[in-house]
Amino acid sequence: MQSPFWRLTALLIIIVFVFFLIIPIAKIMKGSFQTEEAGPFTLKNYKDFASYRSYWRSFFNSVFIGLASAITTILVGVPLAFIVSRWNVMGKALIITLSTLPLMLPSFISAFVWIILLGRQGMITHFLRSIGIPFESIYGYFGLIFVFTCQLYPYVFLMTISAFSTMDESIEEAAKVLGSSPLRTFITVSFPLVLPSILSGALLVFMSSVENFGVPMIIGEQMPILAVSAYVQFTSEIGQHPGMAHTMGIILILITMTSLVVQRRYLAKRNFIQSARGRPLVKELSTLKKLVASSYCYFIVLFALIPFFVAMVISFMEMRGPVIHPNFSLENYIYAFTRSARPIFNSYFLATIATLVSLLIGVPAGYILTRHQRTAYSGTLDIVIMLPFVVAGTVLGIALTIAFNKGILILTGTWMILALSYTIRKMPFVARSSASILYQLNPELEEASISLGVSPMKTFFKVTIRLMVGGILAGAILAWVTIISELSSTIILYPPGWSTMIIEMFQGVISDDMGTASAFASILILSTVIPLLFITRYLRGEQTSIL
Amino acid sequence: MSLRVVGVTKRFGDLVAVNKVSLQIERGEFFTLLGPSGCGKTTLLRSIAGFNQPEEGEIYFYEKKMNKVPPHKRDVGMVFQNYAVFPHLSVYDNVIYGLKAKKTAAQEIGPRALKAIEMVRLKGLEKRLPSQLSGGQLQRVAIARALVVEPEVLLMDEPLSNLDAKLRVETRSEIRALQQNLKTTTIYVTHDQEEALAISDRIAVMDFGKIQQVGRPWEIYTNPANRFVAEFIGTTNFFEGETVSKNEDSTLVSVKGVELAIPRQEESKGSQISFAIRPEAFRVLEDTETSLTKGLFPLKGRISSVEYLGTLTKYEIELAEGVILKVNSYDIEPDKLKQTGETVEFGYDPKRVLIYKD
Repeated sequence: MQSPFWRLTALLIIIVFVFFLIIPIAKIMKGSFQTEEAGPFTLKNYKDFASYRSYWRSFFNSVFIGLASAITTILVGVPLAFIVSRWNVMGKALIITLSTLPLMLPSFISAFVWIILLGRQGMITHFLRSIGIPFESIYGYFGLIFVFTCQLYPYVFLMTISAFSTMDESIEEAAKVLGSSPLRTFITVSFPLVLPSILSGALLVFMSSVENFGVPMIIGEQMPILAVSAYVQFTSEIGQHPGMAHTMGIILILITMTSLVVQRRYLAKRNFIQSARGRPLVKELSTLKKLVASSYCYFIVLFALIPFFVAMVISFMEMRGPVIHPNFSLENYIYAFTRSARPIFNSYFLATIATLVSLLIGVPAGYILTRHQRTAYSGTLDIVIMLPFVVAGTVLGIALTIAFNKGILILTGTWMILALSYTIRKMPFVARSSASILYQLNPELEEASISLGVSPMKTFFKVTIRLMVGGILAGAILAWVTIISELSSTIILYPPGWSTMIIEMFQGVISDDMGTASAFASILILSTVIPLLFITRYLRGEQTSIL
Repeated sequence: MSLRVVGVTKRFGDLVAVNKVSLQIERGEFFTLLGPSGCGKTTLLRSIAGFNQPEEGEIYFYEKKMNKVPPHKRDVGMVFQNYAVFPHLSVYDNVIYGLKAKKTAAQEIGPRALKAIEMVRLKGLEKRLPSQLSGGQLQRVAIARALVVEPEVLLMDEPLSNLDAKLRVETRSEIRALQQNLKTTTIYVTHDQEEALAISDRIAVMDFGKIQQVGRPWEIYTNPANRFVAEFIGTTNFFEGETVSKNEDSTLVSVKGVELAIPRQEESKGSQISFAIRPEAFRVLEDTETSLTKGLFPLKGRISSVEYLGTLTKYEIELAEGVILKVNSYDIEPDKLKQTGETVEFGYDPKRVLIYKD
C-alpha cells in the first residue's frame, strides 16, 4: 500500500524534528567550536576541556558513576529477576508492578529524601553516630551510585525477567538430558541466553545516570559532573568559557550516542530470546525457603521506594527550614498552596499539552515504523526519532534556548518552549509504544477492512486506532507522569511565571526550605501514582516496549 | 470471462515472487492456486486484491483494468488465513462492516446481514464478541463478512490452515457448497493438494512464481504436465533410463539395470527418457494370479517397508540395488498382508505410465 498520506505524514514529522531538534543541536555543535558568539572556528574549547582538571574530571566522574551504577544494578537486578521468574515467590505481579515505580517517580525526590535521612544532619546519620558507627554522609560517589542503583535497578530487573520468562523451557531441558547439572546448565546455557538482555538493561542504567541532572546536583555537591557542569557553565552570566557549555553538551551526546549505538548494533542483534513456547518451569520451594525468597524480593522493591514513603510522611510534619519536628501539620501544604497554586497548574497544563502533541505525532509515527518498514521514509523516521534518546535534558534545554531566542521564531521565554522540549523528549516513547502495540496487531485486520471498501485512511481510524486505544492510553499516561517530573530541561527553559512543581521543589531544596519541597514532592508522587493505578494492567508490556 | 491476469510479475527486491503469470478465470468458477510455501500464490492473490502493485502485467475484472484501482474500490471479498475478524466488534457488527462502508440502504443492511449469518450457521451468535468464538466460528464470521457484500470476486488465502484436521474437511465442503449456491467467482489459495482436488473447478499449480499447469482436478492428477506437478500432487515413482527395445505397443526402458515397459516411443534405441508411475497403478498379485492373465507388465521384488493405513497399505518394494518402488494396495484382507522381507510378484499396465520428454 503506497499511500501518499503516510509518506507525507512521515515527511512532516521529519521536518518538525529537523527544525526543533537537529538544527538546535547543530547550533550547539557550532558553538562548541567557537569561544564567543559568532567567533572563528577553533578547537580551543575541546583543548581546554582536556587540559583543565575540573573539566575532564567531570567527564571521568560521569562515566565512572554511570559504569559503577550499571554494575550495581546488575548485582541487584539479575538475582532478583532469577528468583521472581524461576521460584514460586508470593505475589509476583505485585513485585513487578512495585519495581516499575522508581522509574516513573522523580529521581530528584529520592535524592532529596536520602539527604534528609543520610545527609550530614540526616536522621539516620545521627542515629548511626549515636550507636557509634562513624558514618560521614551520603554525599559523593557512594551516594550517587547508591541513589542511582535504587532508582534504576528496574531497567536491569525488567529486561532480565522478560528474558528469563520467555526462554523456552526445552532449551534447558535439552542441556539437562545431555547430562548437565542445574548449575552447569545455568552457567553454560541460561546465563549466556539472557546476557544480551542484562547488558541492554545495564546500558539504559548507564545512559540514564550519565544524563541525570537532579541527583548529582544535590548529592554530588562540588563534584564536577557533566550534566551539572554544562548547566552551571550555561547559566552563569560571567562564565570564563562561553563556548564550554556547548562543548560539554556535545561530549555528553557523544557518550550517550556511543552506548545507544552499542545497544542497537551489537546487543539487539544478539537477542537469542525467541517467542515463548514453553514457559520455563517455576520451581516449587519449601514453605520456609519460599518465605525467605519472598522477603528478599519485597525487601528490595520496597527499599527502593523508601524515599517516596518518607517524602509523603514528612510532608505532613512541622518543619522549620531544614529541621523536622515530629508533629502532624498541614502547614507545608497550606504554605505551598497559598503562595501560589500556579506551579501545580503549570505542571499539569504543560504535561497535558505535551502529551497530546506527542500522541498526535507519535501514534502515526509508530504506525509508519511498523506498517511501512523498509521504505526510505520509515528508515529515516526511525533514526530521527531515536535522536532524543541520546540528548540529555540539560543539553536539549541549552539547544532550544539558543536556537529560538532570536530569528523568525522566538520561543525562548514562553511556555511553549517547555511544551516543545517535553514533546521532543516524550514523543519517541509514544511512537515506540504505539509501534510495539502494532507489531502485535495482525495487518490482515486492516486489509480486511480495506477489502470491504473502507479507504486506508478511514481504516486507520475505524479499526487500527480502536484496537490500539488501550495501549495508546497507557503510553500517554506514562508520558504524562514522566513529564511532570522532568527537571533537567525545565530548569534551563522555564520563563517567569511558568515554574513547575519540580522546580518549586528544587528551589525549596536549594534554599533549605524542606517544608515546601516535601509538600511538592508528595503532590508529585500522588500525581504519578494515581494515574498509574489506572494502567497497572498495561504497565508490564508497556514498560518493556519503552525499554 | 470474469477475471483475467495477463503477464503479471511481482518482485520483492531481487526475488521474483510472481513471474509472468497469465490466467483466465470464468464467471462463477471455483479456482484454486496450489503450490508449496513461497511459490508466489499468496503474492498473486494479493496482487488481485490490490494489496501489492505488480511491476509488470495487467489484471482485469471483466474488461476493466484494475491495476490502478486501490484495494478498497475493487469490489473483492477476502477471507484471510488468520480470519482477521475485528476483535472490537460483535459478529453482527463485523458482518455489516462492509455493507456500511458500501453505503447500503439502511433497511437492507439488517436482513442481508442476518441472511449471511444464517448461511454460515451462526444464527443466535450475532451479539457475541470474537473472543467468545472458536476458530471454526471465527472462520465462518470471516466468510459471512466477505460474502455479504456480494463481491465480484471472493479471494480466500489458506482459510482452513488454522483449523484442526477434521474441522478442515468439514469446512471445506461447506465452502464448496456455499460457493455453488451463490455462484461467486472464487480464487482460493492453498498448499494442501487434497483440499485443492476436493473443492476446485480448476487448479493452477505454481512453483517458483510460475504457473506449472492449469486444469481440472483429475487432469492435473492423472496427467501432470511435468515432474514438479507429478510429485507435488500425490506421490509418484519417477524414473530416468534409456530405451532398450520396442514392440507393437510398448517400449522397454532400462532403469539402473531393471527393464520397465512404457507405451511405444518412436525414439531410437539408447535415447534418454523420463517417466512416472503412480503407486496405485501397481497391483500386488496373489499366489494364484499371474500377470499375463491380467495384462500387466510383470515385476518381482523384495518388500523393504510396509505402512498399514487402514483403507490402503503402502509398500516399498526393492527391484534391484537402488530401485525402490512405492506401491499402494487397497482393501486387502489382513491375512493377505505382506511382510517386510517377503518376495512378491506385482505388475502394472504400461498405459498408465506418464512420459516426460523435456
